[in-house]
Amino acid sequence: MFQQRPQKPRRSGAHSWATWYRSGGLSSVVFVLPLVLTFLYFSWGPIVRGLVLSFQKNNLVQPPEWVGLANFSYVLTDPQLPQAAVNTLYFAFLALIFGFPVPLFLAVFVSELRRTGWLYNMLSYLPAVVPPVAAILLWKFFYDPSGTGVFNTILGWFGIGPFAWLNSQSLAMPAIVLEATWAGAGATSIIYLAALTGVRTELYEAAELDGAGIWRRIWHVTLPQIRGIILIMMLLQLIGTFQVFTEPFLFTGGGPNNATTTILLLIYRYAFINGDFGAATALSVLLAGVLCLLSVVYHFVTRRWSTT
Amino acid sequence: MTRVSRWGRRGAALGIAGLMLAAAGCAQATTPESGGGGGAGGAIDENAPVTITIGDRPTPDKPNDIKAFEQKIKDFTATHPNITVKSTETKWEAQTFQAQVAGGTLPTVMNISFTEPANMIPNKQLPDITDELKLVDLTKDLNPDVLKIVQDADGRIYGVPIDVFSVGLAYNRALFKQAGLDPDKPPTSWDEVRQYAKQIAEKTGKAGYAQLTTNNTGGWMLTTMTYSMGGSVESQDGKKSTFNDAPTKKALQLLKDMRWTDNSMGSNFLYNQEEIRQDFAAGKIGMVLQAPDAYDMSVKNFGMKPADYGHGALPQDGGPHGTLTGGSLKMISPKATKNEVVAALKWIKFDQFDKYTTEALAVQDAKTTIADKGFVGRPGITPLSQETYDRYNKWREPYVNVPVKQFQGYVDSTKALKLLPEPPNKGQEVYSLLDPVVQQVLTKKDADIDKLLSDAASKVDARLAR
Repeated sequence: MFQQRPQKPRRSGAHSWATWYRSGGLSSVVFVLPLVLTFLYFSWGPIVRGLVLSFQKNNLVQPPEWVGLANFSYVLTDPQLPQAAVNTLYFAFLALIFGFPVPLFLAVFVSELRRTGWLYNMLSYLPAVVPPVAAILLWKFFYDPSGTGVFNTILGWFGIGPFAWLNSQSLAMPAIVLEATWAGAGATSIIYLAALTGVRTELYEAAELDGAGIWRRIWHVTLPQIRGIILIMMLLQLIGTFQVFTEPFLFTGGGPNNATTTILLLIYRYAFINGDFGAATALSVLLAGVLCLLSVVYHFVTRRWSTT
Repeated sequence: MTRVSRWGRRGAALGIAGLMLAAAGCAQATTPESGGGGGAGGAIDENAPVTITIGDRPTPDKPNDIKAFEQKIKDFTATHPNITVKSTETKWEAQTFQAQVAGGTLPTVMNISFTEPANMIPNKQLPDITDELKLVDLTKDLNPDVLKIVQDADGRIYGVPIDVFSVGLAYNRALFKQAGLDPDKPPTSWDEVRQYAKQIAEKTGKAGYAQLTTNNTGGWMLTTMTYSMGGSVESQDGKKSTFNDAPTKKALQLLKDMRWTDNSMGSNFLYNQEEIRQDFAAGKIGMVLQAPDAYDMSVKNFGMKPADYGHGALPQDGGPHGTLTGGSLKMISPKATKNEVVAALKWIKFDQFDKYTTEALAVQDAKTTIADKGFVGRPGITPLSQETYDRYNKWREPYVNVPVKQFQGYVDSTKALKLLPEPPNKGQEVYSLLDPVVQQVLTKKDADIDKLLSDAASKVDARLAR
């Protein structure tokens, strides 16, 4: 064994190198190298840079100063962090309860409509075409807290309200989730629709022969068939909602009373109001760590139900 | 092959790539060191060839401004042949400025807001230009009250203030008339503000008074109110908060009373600067704390009738205490060499200050402003001595297109009220921590002012200590 060992790899190595070279291995490396390097630099470069920044006191003008874990202990002891974390979780929770079933329902509904499906398809996707900033400003107008605001007027016809919407500590977050659900449902439902086309029609026929109504068909055929996509979409949504920024930033600026201050808004304030890039990247790294952990846990928890 | 070994290999490859990138990152991170030190050494040679870049070039939608701007550069280089001037459209915006500083893409000279130097000076993001200012003979012209904004504790100077305003009370003259109030007599005390607001709300159904609350403006305006009640927000050395006392409590109690007892503040309590100006211009708000430059946006962007705009003094409580000042200054890039600093200051003097002392330039400036639908004669505070400013305004009198009489209350206050600079340390951070305090008072009926302030004070003190 010991004598053979140094010889064997050398021989097989030389052999495979030659084969590799003859079969055009070098040109494929030359071909792929710029791509890989570009990818590494632009995709992973900022991540590594961020990691480096999180251990520094750095305003990017003065020479950086290594501060060890000081940035991490600073952001972890910031009295604003617990509230921001709770707000972010609350947003994720509301988005899961209200935002997650809507596109799924929409997709199943649209796929059931054979002839006019395209129309509903288009209607449901249309909100995704509106630029987020424009959409938010429009909804801000709808949420006008005075009695003459759009939503308050409509609710007033039924003798409800007026509500303070974004001006209320308890209503602000649900109001933001409502807009985010509206904005995101179309794009997500398109993905579900694509998955639904992959469901074998004979399963439905078999179910119909067995006397299954529409709800039982959805429950026993449709959902199990697309559960792989559902699981992935749920993970993507979780990661996405943990990084919510645009909506609270533009709707409320984090108010009232920090009721809509999310983790990302806090990161933004560290970086662009306080000019404290160390703290901002430290919190970003922590958030990324939590999300990685969440993904891994999610993977193991849902492996049993996964289709693959 | 087992799973582990495959992942092991990939992990190793990634690790190596990561290390390479980390090394690249470190190399990059150290580059500012060489650039930052550039301004430190070397003797000044006023005649050596030097190139400077100036920001704030007018955008292409203002052709007359561009023409004047380019002519100015030509005139300047004709008299200063060793200086080459390049220009960019880069300009200051609160949301992107830190990123620009961080990116190292700033021109040699550009305009920035008064809010910036307080953080930039201790961060060493601005060069010390005290000696160079003397060299180009600019120091003696500057208004010493205003100069405090760009000075450190030792009196060293880090920028050149060019445009100054103080906060006053913008009010809607049409709503005043509807409510039976005299539009030529804006309130000058907070008691009057409360009473007027109530009257406007009762007679017109509009908000009598509205308050800025989001994106740091809540803290900014609470600071302004605190100043007007004789208080302060930070100690002189910027190490401790000082707002947890009577003046700030009084300010918050006043807002609470107007909101919950009088119900004279309307229904929107999440206002940022642009939104409040929009609603003010639309006639939904009777009075709001603003600097007089609110006139420009209200009239030009939001279509307010000039006849409806009025601007009074910052209301005071118990004797004239003062008003908060803001404005813009010319900053010089921290990467500029000594020679570049001198060239930049010569340009600033030529560009910004010569018009105050040369009639032809003052008139020319007024004409181009009007040609681009700008405003001539909107009152402000002078970065120079009062008599120079008065003479300058006299030259421009025939071109004034702003109803200056409607600013009378404000104009009088600029001479009577002390100009108080913004908090010396981490001003914007302090403002952002005070935003929720104001929001809470306006959105929660049972808000406990004492507790809110003591909580905010402990948060602010922790930040100031970092």
